[in-house]
Amino acid sequence: MAGEAGGDPRAWLAVDETAAAFISRSLASRPPIILPPPLHRAPLRPGNVVEIAGPSNSGKSHLLLMAAVQCILPKEWEGIYFGGLGKSVMYLDLDCRFDVLRLAQILRNRIAEGFAHLRNGGLEKDGTKDEFQCSFENTLFSDCMQHFLYVRCYNSSEFTAALKTVQSQSRSEVLGVGIYFVMIDSIGAFYWIDRASQPVRESKGKSLQSVTETVVHEIRTFLQLQPALVLVTKAPIYAEGTTTANDFNRGSSKYTLEDSTVLRYSRQEEERTLSYREYMPSIWQSFVTHRINLQVEEAEVPSVQENGVHSTHTSEWVQPSLKTKEKFSIVDDGVILIQ
Amino acid sequence: MMSQDQPSTEDRCGRFWNGMELLKDVTEKKHLLPTGLEGIDTLLGGGLRRGHLTEVTGPSSSGKTQVCLHSASLVAAKHLGVVMYLDTSNSFSPSRVATIIDGTPDLFGHKAKGCEIEDVMRSIICESVFDIFALFEVLNQLEISLSNDKVNNGGSKICLLIIDSISSLLAPIIGGKYPQGRSMMISVAMILKKLADEHNLSVLVTNHMVSAGNGAVKPALGESWKAVPHVRLVISRECRSNICTATVLKHTLLASGSTVKFTVPS
Repeated sequence: MAGEAGGDPRAWLAVDETAAAFISRSLASRPPIILPPPLHRAPLRPGNVVEIAGPSNSGKSHLLLMAAVQCILPKEWEGIYFGGLGKSVMYLDLDCRFDVLRLAQILRNRIAEGFAHLRNGGLEKDGTKDEFQCSFENTLFSDCMQHFLYVRCYNSSEFTAALKTVQSQSRSEVLGVGIYFVMIDSIGAFYWIDRASQPVRESKGKSLQSVTETVVHEIRTFLQLQPALVLVTKAPIYAEGTTTANDFNRGSSKYTLEDSTVLRYSRQEEERTLSYREYMPSIWQSFVTHRINLQVEEAEVPSVQENGVHSTHTSEWVQPSLKTKEKFSIVDDGVILIQ
Repeated sequence: MMSQDQPSTEDRCGRFWNGMELLKDVTEKKHLLPTGLEGIDTLLGGGLRRGHLTEVTGPSSSGKTQVCLHSASLVAAKHLGVVMYLDTSNSFSPSRVATIIDGTPDLFGHKAKGCEIEDVMRSIICESVFDIFALFEVLNQLEISLSNDKVNNGGSKICLLIIDSISSLLAPIIGGKYPQGRSMMISVAMILKKLADEHNLSVLVTNHMVSAGNGAVKPALGESWKAVPHVRLVISRECRSNICTATVLKHTLLASGSTVKFTVPS
């Protein structure tokens, strides 16, 4: 062996690149992505799969829209700094509750912010925007919105079919730039339908399992071709004995799981514990690289006195475990962190 | 034959829409339908949005059916389109519709009210639905008819679908050992949202309240349903009064907790 290596006994150790070179190359090809709060704490890169879990009204979809705006906004446009990524977003709506007006509202606010920094508010003396700025803003707005791609799915077969077309869509010449974020809202939307479609006697859900396997396979295939950040929302399914009945039959022990995740939040000024079970198959759980849990502190039915007061939301990174909880409020302009 | 202004279902599912196309669709087709109750219309920025599923929840006698009847009456009276009213508890009352129309000033201008009330009644298709299977059948038939452009009245297409109340159909089937009940509930939700989006309908459903413990109440049907509507309003009526309060529980654009008072006719 040593003789074949031309006299140098260590020649066979020759490597393509050093560890330092590998790290710098990785950082260049997959740079870290800074997302708006509260998603800013964990270091995210293309190829990561982020699961945003939380009950209804906890702000999951809103965080997706904030991230989408961050992605479709350019870093700089006509000399004005916006701090975006200038890439395309693919949004798969399984909940069928997406509102484009909300996306437009957030995007317009971000664009207006950029102009405000440049032109000290960019307003005429009477408080109105000049024609130039309006035209400028509309052009940028239209350009950004073209990079937001959306599909709505009403069942698992439509969802898997949509994922299969993602690759061809990402190569579309219309875009000019690649798909950088893939968003799924929300991954458990068809859980009950898929679960009911399997034979009652089967302990493991074949239908549910196979659908999840297909979903994971399609996303993996896409990520191999084009590194992108995958952001997925997931609503919990509650275990028995929780305060949010009537979603489960309290008499059945079938839904009591020992390894259920425990989430705590304040509701009507008292602490209650909500335990929800992990219902996604293990193939999905191992596929996810990052997890953040959201909660909302509010009454089931807000009182009249709460009118105009924004709900307080709590976020906690579970994977990686950051052991810190952040409080935030959702307003028209986006998210405000509460100290 | 598919109507001209709508892409085919295959087209909708088969391709991705960009943000500008979505915005154009909303501004051109997803208009607001007034409920005729000033407070609610103000709170919702003009009324019930086409393409959205709006839930009105509240305790017994809080005015949920009144909101439904008001919405149906006004949409029909203003010739905005046909209303399909799915009645699950025999709560639909033509005489109450007539009273609402009589109590709405300048609705028809100089036209004779008697003739107009008949026109309004013709524009409201009322179906009695007493179980989940009947609901599936009606919704399936409606989807076929809409796809074939058959549900119209003198050229007016259906624009508002009301289910009063959806909880009386869904509550009996959820819970229990097997997931079929919850599966049917989510299936109903998906059908309603598909009808709303693809055929530019506004869907209005009512829900009742259940005990949340400690004397508090909350909307029925649990967490699985909680994520379904685009808009959730809870209404309550002041004791021995026509004054009601509507509070936003959930909205795609408004902050939760926004509140308004409105008056319902006695």
